[in-house]
Amino acid sequence: MMRSLLIFLLAAKTAGAAQDAPDFEKEVLPVLYHHCFSCHSEKQSKPKGGLLLDSVTGIQAGDVLVPGKPEASELLTRATLPINDEDVMPPLKGGAQPLSEADREVLRRWIASGASFGKWQKFDHRGPVMEISKAPTVVSELAVKIDGLVEEHHQKRGTHLNAPVSDEVFLRRVYLDVMGRIPSLEESRRFLDNKAGDKRSRLIDELINSQGYESHLFNWKADQLRLLTQGLPGQPGWLYDEWVKEAIHTSMPYDEYVRRLITANGYLWENGAVGFYVRDMGMPLDHMSNLTRVFLGTRIECAQCHDHPLQPVTQKDFYQMAAFTFGVTNMCSSAGFSEKNVKQWPEVKAKLDSMKADTALRQGVSRTIATLKRLTTDTGKSITFPETYEYDKTLRKKPVEARTLFGDEAPATEGDRREAFAAWLTSPRNPRFAVNIANRLWKRVMGVGLIEPVDSLSVLPAKEHAALMDILAQAMIQMKFDERSFTAALLNTRLYQSAAVRETPQPGVAFDLRGPQLRRLSAEQIWDSCLTLIVQDLDERKSLRRTDGSEIDPERLRKLSRMCAGEIIERAKDEMEYRKRNREFQLRLVEQSKERQAARDAGDEAKVKQLQSEHARENAEFFSPRLKAMQMGHGYVAKETDPRWKHLTFGMVRASEIPLPLALGHFLRQFGQSDRREIDAFNRDPNTTHSLALMNGELTGEILAKDSWLQRSLAASKANAQERVRLLYQAVLVREPADDEVAELAKLTQGSADPERDILWALLNSPEFLFLQ
Amino acid sequence: MKSQFTDLGRRQFMERFASLCLGVRIAANPALAQAAASGGKAKSVICLYMRGGISHIDTFDPKPGKPEMAGVKAIKTSADDVQISEWFPRFAKQMHHVTLVRSMTSTQGIHELGAYSAHTSYFMTPTIKHPAMGSWALKLLGSKNKVLPGNVLINGSPQHPGCGYMESHLAPLPIVDPAAGLQNSAMMNGFSVSDADRRTALAQAMGARFVDHTPHRDVGAYLKIQKEAAALMKSEDLKVFDISQENEKTREAYGKHTFGQGCLLARRLVEAGVRFIEVEDDQNWDTHNDQIESMENMTPSADQTMATLLDDLHQRGLLQNTLVMMITEFGRTPRINEATAGRGHHPGVFTWWLAGGGMKGGYAHGLSDEIGERVAEKPVTMPDFNATVAMALGMDLAHVEHSPSGRPFTVADKGKPVMELFA
Repeated sequence: MMRSLLIFLLAAKTAGAAQDAPDFEKEVLPVLYHHCFSCHSEKQSKPKGGLLLDSVTGIQAGDVLVPGKPEASELLTRATLPINDEDVMPPLKGGAQPLSEADREVLRRWIASGASFGKWQKFDHRGPVMEISKAPTVVSELAVKIDGLVEEHHQKRGTHLNAPVSDEVFLRRVYLDVMGRIPSLEESRRFLDNKAGDKRSRLIDELINSQGYESHLFNWKADQLRLLTQGLPGQPGWLYDEWVKEAIHTSMPYDEYVRRLITANGYLWENGAVGFYVRDMGMPLDHMSNLTRVFLGTRIECAQCHDHPLQPVTQKDFYQMAAFTFGVTNMCSSAGFSEKNVKQWPEVKAKLDSMKADTALRQGVSRTIATLKRLTTDTGKSITFPETYEYDKTLRKKPVEARTLFGDEAPATEGDRREAFAAWLTSPRNPRFAVNIANRLWKRVMGVGLIEPVDSLSVLPAKEHAALMDILAQAMIQMKFDERSFTAALLNTRLYQSAAVRETPQPGVAFDLRGPQLRRLSAEQIWDSCLTLIVQDLDERKSLRRTDGSEIDPERLRKLSRMCAGEIIERAKDEMEYRKRNREFQLRLVEQSKERQAARDAGDEAKVKQLQSEHARENAEFFSPRLKAMQMGHGYVAKETDPRWKHLTFGMVRASEIPLPLALGHFLRQFGQSDRREIDAFNRDPNTTHSLALMNGELTGEILAKDSWLQRSLAASKANAQERVRLLYQAVLVREPADDEVAELAKLTQGSADPERDILWALLNSPEFLFLQ
Repeated sequence: MKSQFTDLGRRQFMERFASLCLGVRIAANPALAQAAASGGKAKSVICLYMRGGISHIDTFDPKPGKPEMAGVKAIKTSADDVQISEWFPRFAKQMHHVTLVRSMTSTQGIHELGAYSAHTSYFMTPTIKHPAMGSWALKLLGSKNKVLPGNVLINGSPQHPGCGYMESHLAPLPIVDPAAGLQNSAMMNGFSVSDADRRTALAQAMGARFVDHTPHRDVGAYLKIQKEAAALMKSEDLKVFDISQENEKTREAYGKHTFGQGCLLARRLVEAGVRFIEVEDDQNWDTHNDQIESMENMTPSADQTMATLLDDLHQRGLLQNTLVMMITEFGRTPRINEATAGRGHHPGVFTWWLAGGGMKGGYAHGLSDEIGERVAEKPVTMPDFNATVAMALGMDLAHVEHSPSGRPFTVADKGKPVMELFA
């Protein structure tokens, strides 16, 4: 690899200079952008050494370039010093990256060939806005359009698409990509037996409108928004999950979804979208970094603390962006009560004062209304430059005016900052909004983004696949941000229905459009696929967790937020009384246990039994009804009443139905499910623990068990032993075994008491089960 | 890939390193000659990871009497002239084993990026994933025990960089719950060894067919891992993971929480010859809200576990060959935020420490300024610190490893080992 690179470089050096002169805008500008503009552009209040490299006049005035003479041009010589040299550019201290050998070579060739700028005069740091052009809006037409561009790509390079895939491969792939799981035996049979010519596009339609699609898409969105069902302290965080699920279910257009998140107001139990702010409570800057990364495919978090070392994005830029959302109540404080968050507070406080309430009652009231503190709404508060702001000391602690980072401006007043920001962000004219979602959805089904990493969008135009990326973004806009239709179009392409690229993708190498990338399934896909073999009608089984009668029952919270001051104080008294009695009860429990132990020690078994039932009755009468009436308990798990699932534990539901955070030992966590602390913090690297889990773990045991859905389906099929082996292959790997494979199986299971069990176990443990191809 | 250093070999390596990186010969530099004599003493590493960014001034770099301390006091330790926060009374008694590095500095103020640099010594970039220290150690030094994985991660986060671009067998083996041992390592009910052998052979045969026409790296890796898992299941060494074999007193001493039990397991793994063990604290030190209250809640268990680990390793004579290090993403702001009563992220200066494995004891290296905001003396970067650890293990800092795409990397990036930390 290294050697061939060297040969290439040598060849490049000796080749005639003129014909391979690098194009300035396409090849040289990106190098300057990533390695020089962070210090030498008009973006800095004081460009280093007064040198500007973002305009022709700046470069010429800087005296760093001698056309035709690379060795005399400081632009190159400073950048090619050894990396431990003090004078090397860029200086690595601030986190900048040295120029790669290839970058240096581009610069060298460009200077050697005369350093022509072409038509370029000056870098436009805000970049152009999105110009709207025509694009297909019908699913089938968009698919054809995409295939046309893919075809052009291959014609230009003399390459071609991989071979079309069989119905079996398509079936497994489309189920995993859309439903997030393998098909059941019955679902497979239905599709494979179908003789209709358009059965693939019909299946796509069916799946994209199913519950399975919603479940799988939820995981994807939850990883981006870092949803923590039970991880928002003192708040019913699951209502945020519910809001996202509902948005998916009702096919809320993506731009509206983002607008509603950004402009959300109220309590979680009034509007689940406020979870967007409650989730990031006390982290206003991180909130803006995350938002920009997820919705605009742009990473600016470096600029939270200092100018970005790899891009001309300044700390000032960051603060101007953060100014749009900084005034939201939850962003800055874990503050106390005020009229702003608990509207009854002044009255409650006055009342407590007038009745000369003691500390205990005051604390009791605080506790009762603690949940109400998290009201999401705007304050007039403005962000100020940090007191350590080093780029312009006169700005320290001065308020920051909100300003967008690129594209259109979005002038805002104190009262409508978030509306103005959301309108700018989701506008079709925003050059990154539609591109970002189109690219991410593309990656979701193709395995690799057209732009990689998906959060590396910048003012620079895309290097590869620009035309294709543009048509996808235009179509996204024309389809009114309908994620279902857009995804359906991708699935209907010949590209998607071609054989997978089976090599390891190389970072930095563009997707070559031969077919989808082979990849390991996500933790959720593996879990949901295993459960397909265990649970009948898996997608229909929902969580059995309930909150009615609990402290976080939305109905209780709604009532509470409407109570008047007097009612709140009464409620607080009740709860205090309850806690007092509960404490007595806890003490009583200890006593009871001692009484039973005493009887046990005395060897009086009859007494033990009698005490047990007495105590149970005492506790049931005293405690449970009260708990419920007071709404002081936590949630509970309802009893399963559906005959299809009565034999199953409540945890045997799709991953999207399981509240996070999960214990580290859970199957999903083992296989690398995100802990939702960071965006897309999942991990798909192989590990010994995966093998152990599939060899000896709970799910494998459940699949092998007699009452698993797979075993019941096999029994119902009345197939003979030979046919059953074929059905096992169909169920787990969604394909027929090859003839020689059957022979090999027979040989390897010789002497086994239960060859079928062996085969099923081995299928689950074959790497093929874990990969999407 | 295992390199076994004889004393001569180690000396040659140190000389080579010194002339290569520092431009000096050992004979001419007494500090280096001394380090060469002690370098490579460490055989194993226990890395304690305090997730969230533990405050430095509330722990190992107190500023007595300053308003930034919010009333928290500094106490004396078993080392003259070294004081730490009153929240670490037990650890204070172990200070004679410890080198504090109070002048750590970084530019990464975001959890993900700070954690990445702490583990890999490299900045996170979108084009490559670098390996963490444990994978480097395994790659360059191998592990004494051939059956047990040489690199173990106890209670780790899913974002741990693992083996980065290196081969997946160098990735840390994760232990999710140290009290439960290695999860799923017991054979399923009704399963005999011969059943397991037959089934594994079957799965291997099926897998081989798939691997045959699938060059993707991870596919082959899964087949290999399965074989190793099958061997591990049958191994006697599996007992090492069972901390219930320790007496109750010892388990209590370490603390019955995940971090405590994880450190106990780490000690057992060191005894079994495992090269690199990382234990992540199960508490979150990201104290944006209510600094004092949060620290009051979290420090007692951390204090107990760290102190017990050092003492136990010492009592068993393991400390001289085991390097214990404590790392975190960054420090926390000296000023307490008025609105949240917490401290923000602060990469400008913070404290990491190390102990044992041939390092000095009772020593505080470097200084932060009087309120703990900036480095005042002897700045040490994460790569510098990690290079010191790598040298203590006897790793060749100049050795170049290539990623699959041909990019060259060295352990601890270009960090310069801090020679003053060696005993």
